[in-house]
Amino acid sequence: MSTVTPEEAREALEAVRTTARQVQRTLANGGAAYYLFVWGTVWLLGFGSTYFLGATSPLSGIIWLVLDVLGVAASFLIGWRMSQRVRSRVGVRVGLFWLAWLVYAALIVQFAQPTTGNQLSLLLSLFAMMGYVTSGLLFDSRFLVVVGLIVTVFIIAGYLFAPAIFNLWMAMLGGGSLLAAGAYIQRAWR
Amino acid sequence: MSDFDTIIHQPTRLRIMAALNALGEESQMEFGALRDLLEVTDGNLATHLRKLEDAGYVRITKTFVGRRPRTYVAITPTGRAAFAQHVQALQEILG
Repeated sequence: MSTVTPEEAREALEAVRTTARQVQRTLANGGAAYYLFVWGTVWLLGFGSTYFLGATSPLSGIIWLVLDVLGVAASFLIGWRMSQRVRSRVGVRVGLFWLAWLVYAALIVQFAQPTTGNQLSLLLSLFAMMGYVTSGLLFDSRFLVVVGLIVTVFIIAGYLFAPAIFNLWMAMLGGGSLLAAGAYIQRAWR
Repeated sequence: MSDFDTIIHQPTRLRIMAALNALGEESQMEFGALRDLLEVTDGNLATHLRKLEDAGYVRITKTFVGRRPRTYVAITPTGRAAFAQHVQALQEILG
């Protein structure tokens, strides 16, 4: 039989736990930092341009369109790169979740027809945060749930109490929060 | 008393098995991703993987993504069972 001491056994079990935790983070949050950087930048530039150019400016609409296309393309690229590193059913399900989310977001905006620029911003950003919270709950990522809830509070507070600067608010607090969350993950989950 | 597995107990191999076991059913990790996760060298990882493969604990698949060769590693059902028994043996040592 073995000559493993209790201390060695304890260290071995700790190594098992630590490694398993690292893998779970890779699986559940794999690429999350990059997604947060991409969409934080999209929000910062998109809402910022809407604030400075005006919600009815055609240029602002074009900027949003370009940013969204770039954001979706970058997200697919990140997802593809991550799937090359870890092939798992969870990864496929996460990808399908966000694909479904994207389709439903487009349909809801198309048919809900919000009447003001602020309502459109509110609808889209709340829908995005619903995606963060639900995907966090489904795929066991507490961090995404917390980020989603914090930004949701910022969104609602800005819509209700700062309507005149709502787009600037969203650029700074919404986009800024996503960027900060991405930076935190990058630093803390090495 | 559960079986204590001397192949798995080596620290790097223990972490390899822990990582692959945590992936879940039918999941594979790319060689480079596993190397980065464990912070070991290519040669070191390859040596330990060969021992685990010889024992039937992991399955190594080589494939191409575009023109680039890729190596994927997965835990086998035998490996998963051996790992579970080994972890149980460690827990029994602690009482």
